[in-house]
Amino acid sequence: MNQTVTVNISGIVFHIEVDAYEDLGNYLSKIRSYFKNSEECEEIMTDIEARIAELFNEKITSDNQVVSSNDVEAVVTIMGKPEQYIDEDEGQEQHQQSFSSKQRTYSTAKKLFRDSDDRMIGGVASGIAAYFGMDAIWLRLFFVIALFVGFGFLLYIILWIVMPEAKTASDKLQMRGAPVNIDNIGRTFKEEAEKVSENLKKNGQQYGKKAESAFEAFFSFLLHVFKGIFKVLGKIIGVLFLIVGTFWLVGLIGMLVGSETIFSITSDGIFSIESSDFFNLIFVSENQFHLAIIGILLAIGIPIITLIYAGVKLLFKMKTHYSIGLGLFIFWIIGVAICGMVGIRMGTELTHDESIINIKVLSDNNDDFYISASTDENPGEGILEDRYSVISLDEDSIYLNDIRLYIYKSKNDSMELKVIKNSNGKSRKDASNNAKMISFNYSITNDSIFLGNYLSTLKENKIRGQEVRLKLYLPIGKSIYLDKSLKRIIRNVDNVTNTWDHDMLEQRWIMLEAGLTCVECNEIEGINLTQVDSVRAYEPIIEEDK
Amino acid sequence: MKIENTKAQMRKGVLEYCILSILKSGEAYPSEIIEKLKAGKLIVVEGTLYPLLTRLKNAGLLSYRWEESKSGPPRKYYQLTKIGEEFLKELETTWDDLVKAVNLTRKKN
Repeated sequence: MNQTVTVNISGIVFHIEVDAYEDLGNYLSKIRSYFKNSEECEEIMTDIEARIAELFNEKITSDNQVVSSNDVEAVVTIMGKPEQYIDEDEGQEQHQQSFSSKQRTYSTAKKLFRDSDDRMIGGVASGIAAYFGMDAIWLRLFFVIALFVGFGFLLYIILWIVMPEAKTASDKLQMRGAPVNIDNIGRTFKEEAEKVSENLKKNGQQYGKKAESAFEAFFSFLLHVFKGIFKVLGKIIGVLFLIVGTFWLVGLIGMLVGSETIFSITSDGIFSIESSDFFNLIFVSENQFHLAIIGILLAIGIPIITLIYAGVKLLFKMKTHYSIGLGLFIFWIIGVAICGMVGIRMGTELTHDESIINIKVLSDNNDDFYISASTDENPGEGILEDRYSVISLDEDSIYLNDIRLYIYKSKNDSMELKVIKNSNGKSRKDASNNAKMISFNYSITNDSIFLGNYLSTLKENKIRGQEVRLKLYLPIGKSIYLDKSLKRIIRNVDNVTNTWDHDMLEQRWIMLEAGLTCVECNEIEGINLTQVDSVRAYEPIIEEDK
Repeated sequence: MKIENTKAQMRKGVLEYCILSILKSGEAYPSEIIEKLKAGKLIVVEGTLYPLLTRLKNAGLLSYRWEESKSGPPRKYYQLTKIGEEFLKELETTWDDLVKAVNLTRKKN
């Protein structure tokens, strides 16, 4: 079926095929040009149009709602061509002559212009009014109301920009939809004057009809304007989709396939991953790694591709088949399923966690210990770094710096350092094996503890949540000096003054009955070295860690 | 002198007379008038009627009123004015005279 347009003939709306519409338009403009020199032109046209509407109405059945070219032809046969008219107008012969010499298609298509002759601001309202043959006052009223509703200002400005000004008489004729020829340009004014007097003669009923059709025309016009705005918006969104989508796609592929470092800027700072190495350390096997890559590509890539596709569609108005969308959706589901599968497999790799605990009893001869840590950077090449942690690799080892130091009050009189190596694994045995494989360097002397700041394990053990937790148990009376090198590993150490971890560094602390107490801090309220004995008498208020 | 023009001239006068005659018996809208005219083969195409009606109306011979229609746009129902009735009476006499004259002349030939 042909494309159809909706037309309003004498207040009745018809759906009419495009070809038929053109035929009808040509026919009507022929008649109009035939009568153009007579004063009754408008009235005759109105009557003829009303009759055509009536005839179309008879043609339309519930089965066939569309006016076809055949229908138009039939109507033209009934109504007759102007040449067949019997007319008593004196100028008829001249008419017919001029008519036959002008048997070209008249450009009766109306154009939207701003009417600068009748303007309040930019002539937008009067231009639109001229287009629909209605009074500009209603449009002005609309714009004033729209101004208060909110969109009026913007709408007016857009229309002002979009609508050209009717500068020439030919523009002004097109603005009102009259055929452009020299006769008419001269007659515009006369016609208008007649139209006004004609309108005055018409009774209320006709006015109602007129207003209704003008309303319909106005709404179809509004629809066009909004369509236009959405079109422009659509293009902008399309471009955005394309840019963002392409950017993401490149990023995604680069991250998964390339070995380049991917940077992402987060609130934690710049986060970098040496991707392929990193993934190799997580996945059980090469196959699982590839599967995961396919899964991620589909699960994340397809929405990105959809975005790009939507962008292209918006930009170029492509016609597409629904199967494309369906296909994309199916592949996306597959991707999500693969990710889920791999995720579950990965999860089982981490289901159990085990610890290897090593307790070192420190020399009892000394009451004061100096505690420090290495500040070396991780050996090997860093593949993942952020503010808190670094993962680095060399030929055969992984270096992680998930090291934490906690300090508690000892339950007995001995000073101990508990070295706890934790790891996950798919079974208890696997987890405990992984924990055993952790190597962590530290050294204890008579009066000092020196801690490493990273742990290492062999690459083949993969990254399985390996971590080292150090728990230092201080009996009452022992004191420690916390070196500033502990900054990265000291965590949540309770003390009587609730001093923050990092402020505890470069200070000497003594374990008293009440808890860890700063020895030389002057500002600590009520407690100094001379009061140590009295503090010792306090009931312990610190909760003991198991 | 073209035969077409002469024919058209003749038909024009008769057409006006017929339209007024149709309306003599009461008001009618264009489609009804057309039906009758078509039956008498006076007109072939409907388009002819509208300018004629408009001109007769503007000449004060006809007046019309609007009436809603179920099957389309509102219809103009035409009727004769006083002047129209006068006009028609004169035309009727003229027509009778013409017919007589024509019959007379044709018999003689």
